[in-house]
Amino acid sequence: MLDMIIIDGLSFSLPLFIMAIGGIYSEKSGITNLALEGFQGFGAFTGAFVTVYLYGIFGAESSVPYYAGFICAVIGGGIFALLHALLCVKFKADQVISGVVMNILAMALTSFLTKRINASFFGNDANKFMLSASARITVPGLCDIPVIGAAFRDIYPFEIMILVVAIVMWYVMYRTVYGMRLRACGDNPHSADAAGINVYSVRTIAVFISGCLSGIAGMSFAYSVSANFSPDIYLGYGYLSIAALIFGNWSILPALFACLMFGFARSMGAAAIHQLGLPSSYNDLVRTLPYVLTLLLLVFFGKSNRSPRALGQIYDKGQR
Amino acid sequence: MRKFTQSLIAIIISLIFGALILWLMGKDPVSAYMDLLRGSGLMEKVRYSGRQNMFTDFMSFIDAMTPMIFASLAVALALKGGFFNIGVSGQMLFAGFCAHMAAMILPSKIAVVIVGLIAGALIGALIGWLKYRFNVNEVVSSIMMNSILMYLITFYINTFYINPVSRQSKSIISAARLTLSGFRWEGLKIDIALAFPLAVVTALFLHWFIERTTYGYEIKASGLSPNAAYYAGMNVNRTALMTMTLSGALAGLAGVSYFCGYLAAIQPGVVPSMGFDAIAVSLLGGNNPLGCVLASFLITVISKGSVYMSSRQNIDMEIASLVTAFILTFAACSSVIGRRRK
Repeated sequence: MLDMIIIDGLSFSLPLFIMAIGGIYSEKSGITNLALEGFQGFGAFTGAFVTVYLYGIFGAESSVPYYAGFICAVIGGGIFALLHALLCVKFKADQVISGVVMNILAMALTSFLTKRINASFFGNDANKFMLSASARITVPGLCDIPVIGAAFRDIYPFEIMILVVAIVMWYVMYRTVYGMRLRACGDNPHSADAAGINVYSVRTIAVFISGCLSGIAGMSFAYSVSANFSPDIYLGYGYLSIAALIFGNWSILPALFACLMFGFARSMGAAAIHQLGLPSSYNDLVRTLPYVLTLLLLVFFGKSNRSPRALGQIYDKGQR
Repeated sequence: MRKFTQSLIAIIISLIFGALILWLMGKDPVSAYMDLLRGSGLMEKVRYSGRQNMFTDFMSFIDAMTPMIFASLAVALALKGGFFNIGVSGQMLFAGFCAHMAAMILPSKIAVVIVGLIAGALIGALIGWLKYRFNVNEVVSSIMMNSILMYLITFYINTFYINPVSRQSKSIISAARLTLSGFRWEGLKIDIALAFPLAVVTALFLHWFIERTTYGYEIKASGLSPNAAYYAGMNVNRTALMTMTLSGALAGLAGVSYFCGYLAAIQPGVVPSMGFDAIAVSLLGGNNPLGCVLASFLITVISKGSVYMSSRQNIDMEIASLVTAFILTFAACSSVIGRRRK
């Protein structure tokens, strides 16, 4: 019971967390990112396609398709994100509109391509890529600790991947020159430019990174939620991670706590409802919690919640 | 005029893109596009099944287009006032749901419209109030509201209001439905969208309201520059609230004409994608009420006609949403949009 709460909570929070980091990168550089939903979907699509393709070469038991799938999800999400960067940075489109359009485009493109690819590569007319179940890792020794041990039991390999990537991303954001420049671009692009930083390229890279990280998240959801890629992956988790990053005040560590809270609220709610013998539709009541909390936080602590100062502003070199 | 040209270019480029894809799939783009028109009742089909002809097709096309007009007007009005109403989906869902509930007590079409209008307006007003009272960004609060409303309504439908066969909500009774479904006339079965005249009148009214009244001028002025409007003595906060309330009311009308008209039931677990598509439709229409009607017409031709096209040409239905998405992308590239309130 308690084990299930911890295992399910972690496998949901961590993908959410890596996507929220992606959002933080983009928003800290000054680009509003509502397109996370589309990025994760497109990443999952490329990853799932490569994985299913490699099943045919290496067999479904090999771990090559699994990791190759994740790498391709990262690349796919990143490349798709470049389109958002192109619209926002180069064409100076409104960032909110571009984000919404990216979501619509990702959904249309992936459902179209999934059908086409299934027809021409795999000779069926399904609208999804079936993945085999992900392997689970149990850390010997640590898993025997009472209660906390569950955190080391039945771990998806992607959870470890996400933690490693998250630490690297934290280091890049707060301890490197690029990270500092990125934060400067989000707060005051004009002085950043005056200091010799190329605002356009910093922002483009930031959006690219957010696409890459969302790709990891999308692929993880494809494994943990449904074990396939289908257009059903657009369940609004992208928006949930936006809520998490706002809740975390655009910083990585608080966002982790927000994601853990959302994830555990979800798994605890599900467990409680199961325990009380209520129908599973009551889960939907629990799922409103993250959004209600975020909204309340904004209402009551809106003053201390600081978004990057130049968030959403189109940067034009010639403008003062 | 410049906006019109930009929209036209976006449409043409996207249609060329779509044609290219069709050509790569080994289909004839011209006949595929003609099938879009045939499916929308704008051209004669080869064969009709019983009780149907071009006119009935056109009438069901109008039925599909009606909610889109309302939804795009909701987005356009909010954008005029400097707001980005990304919550049209949630407002539609809430309005449709409330109207369904109201129809159980009071089965009348007028009640459905009024309840939908008020329900949408309430959510819009809440978002506007959060903006000016607590300075909560309207985009963020709209996204949160979308999800909250979606989950609450999904919960209610799945628990108390489900049709176990269709896995959707129960259907609204026909006395309260805004579409006369299967109306017999001259041996034909016609779907009549009763809300369509209202949609056209609303578009005309909004055009007059924005261009010719003091309130409309205040909305525009606050949208272009809230500071300038403030120093000119306008009550910017009241205008903000009014803009979002009206926009929500329009979204509510979209919701009732969608969930209690075009469709008779609500599908649990999703927000209607129309609310997001409407953003792009409004963009394509240059945020002008009359432009919105034209843009809704075009987008509905693609979405409605694609059913016929896919069955005739053996093409995946998804190509239609792909072409729509291309149009939106190109429309977003061109800077048709007015400046948003910061």
